[in-house]
Amino acid sequence: MEQHNRFWRIALLGLPLGLFGLFVVWPLFSSFYYSFTDWNGFDTNYSFVGFDNFAKIATDRLFLQAAINTTIWMAAAIILPTTLGLMLALLLDSRVAGARVFKSIFYLPICLSAVIVGQIWTWIYQPDWGLLNTIISQITGEKFKYAWLAKPDTALWSVIVAWSWQQTGLAMVIYLAGLTAIPGDLLEVCEIEGASPWQRFRRVVLPLLAPSTVVVVALSVINSLKGFDILYIMTGGGPFNSSDTLAMHMYNESFKKYLMGYGSAISVVLFLIALAIIGLYFRQLRKVDRIYG
Amino acid sequence: MAQLQLANLRKSFGQVQVIKGLDLAISDGEFVVFVGPSGCGKSTTLRMIAGLEDATSGTILLDGGDLTRARPADRSIAMVFQSYALFPHMTVADNIGFGLQLKGTDRATITARVAEVAGTLHLAPLLARYPRELSGGQRQRVAIGRAIIRNPKVFLFDEPLSNLDAALRVQMRLEIARLHQRLRATMVYVTHDQVEAMTLANRIVVFNDGRIEQVGTPMDLYERPANRFVAGFIGAPSMNFLPVRTNGSLIDWPGIAPLALPAGKAQVVELGIRPEHLVAVEEADADIAGDIEIIERLGAETYAYVRVAGQPADLTLRLPGETGHRPGSRIGLKLDWSRAHWFDADGRVL
Repeated sequence: MEQHNRFWRIALLGLPLGLFGLFVVWPLFSSFYYSFTDWNGFDTNYSFVGFDNFAKIATDRLFLQAAINTTIWMAAAIILPTTLGLMLALLLDSRVAGARVFKSIFYLPICLSAVIVGQIWTWIYQPDWGLLNTIISQITGEKFKYAWLAKPDTALWSVIVAWSWQQTGLAMVIYLAGLTAIPGDLLEVCEIEGASPWQRFRRVVLPLLAPSTVVVVALSVINSLKGFDILYIMTGGGPFNSSDTLAMHMYNESFKKYLMGYGSAISVVLFLIALAIIGLYFRQLRKVDRIYG
Repeated sequence: MAQLQLANLRKSFGQVQVIKGLDLAISDGEFVVFVGPSGCGKSTTLRMIAGLEDATSGTILLDGGDLTRARPADRSIAMVFQSYALFPHMTVADNIGFGLQLKGTDRATITARVAEVAGTLHLAPLLARYPRELSGGQRQRVAIGRAIIRNPKVFLFDEPLSNLDAALRVQMRLEIARLHQRLRATMVYVTHDQVEAMTLANRIVVFNDGRIEQVGTPMDLYERPANRFVAGFIGAPSMNFLPVRTNGSLIDWPGIAPLALPAGKAQVVELGIRPEHLVAVEEADADIAGDIEIIERLGAETYAYVRVAGQPADLTLRLPGETGHRPGSRIGLKLDWSRAHWFDADGRVL
């Protein structure tokens, strides 16, 4: 019997661990390994180039552009869904008619894959018959034709809007759960003490939502770092690398230019950035834990 | 001055009326305790006084001014909640000074006032701590501190000690009593704990099913309950009730020799007698005899639960701490007839 249980324990643990090792740990270490080579992704012959790939990163103008775009992308991808999600949650937490229906509607986009979201918004941004230009034309009374995704000034922000549209629902749901968890008597203390609605929000509700904010921000950071597919569908990093993020740049260098070694070095840098952000997240988590338990 | 008056106060939730017309006057500096079973409306009444629930009809007056529709913040009341209701992200100092901070009071004044209040509640060394780093008793003192600092006219306490363990509850009860002696403020206190009610109150208000059953001093209610509900609710262990049959001018019941019916008690259907008004005697001299089912030893006193043939419930008897009675043994009981309570079919005292 014990032998039987032992078999199942190993089998049930071994399968996920094996898959995790194969698809996460192994590629991770492979990336580290290849980042020190000039491998093109096909040849079995390649040589070690030491830190050359990392040195190249330092002088790569496109890497710098991608790093700037990634910073903008991440900042916007954190701030916009978090803020909008919080606002929607506050609105729907109060006794608004049809709140349940609106909650479902706002949550729906998160159920769609980024590819579908990207395609929907590509249609919305379509210069000739897209919804956005049609609405602007209706409002202004003049035919409005603007290629939102084809202009360097608006391409990245256009994708950010599409991304935020998808991610806001997730933030909203987490904040709604956070609002439900705020004990009613704390809000009653605010009433008795004479707090204005703004004072109540600023001094009580928002701080009490800190655990939710930590989760929302962490998910936003993780999702935005992984935000490759929607960019790939909508702009492919263009035009003129104006929406090129580090993940996109890594993909282009590795799979379009066949510089797998250099692409691996970019992925290592991206990994280290993610590690630093996760470190900050855990520090914040400890602080929240001290206060809220 | 802080005279509080409730006049024909009613509260309904939808079609369900939970407060059915309350009239109560509370004097300045009085400590009034609301008691009653769960769902009787005592907390709802307190919340209406606080302004956290709207009264469906009736009026709440404070020093003659109508508060019924006033915002909670404009009522000059402070409330201490059962759950303490401390802000977990604020330190003790910030929790106590919260109301003053909202009013825009200058920092120096807040610091001085917080220090003063913390000193009186023995919280001075804890001012930098967060609520989760405090014990239950300390948290409740912080909640009281937050109430005191605003100098309200009326303090409202909603079962403030029910989350504390027994020892801490006794300690906090004394602290609240001291606080009342020191501040001489009007206090309204909700509890389901009779010991708290009896020890703290100047007057007790007994609630039942959205109505006031009786208002009086603790000893008034104990010795002269207006009805069977109050008689059964006040006192621990509770009063013994014996169904009574009358036979002409005699009381006729199982296990007791026929007794002449006292004057004015013709409508009696039940007799109430407190455990301390039953005396253990030799069976030959007893009014009732029965078998001891259970003995509860509390140290200074002992309670015996006696099964009497023909009676629907065990009778509770108070004995000295050191007693030779044992479970299973036979015991004779003599009733102190002068302390008996006679109830009619509607539960009213005769």
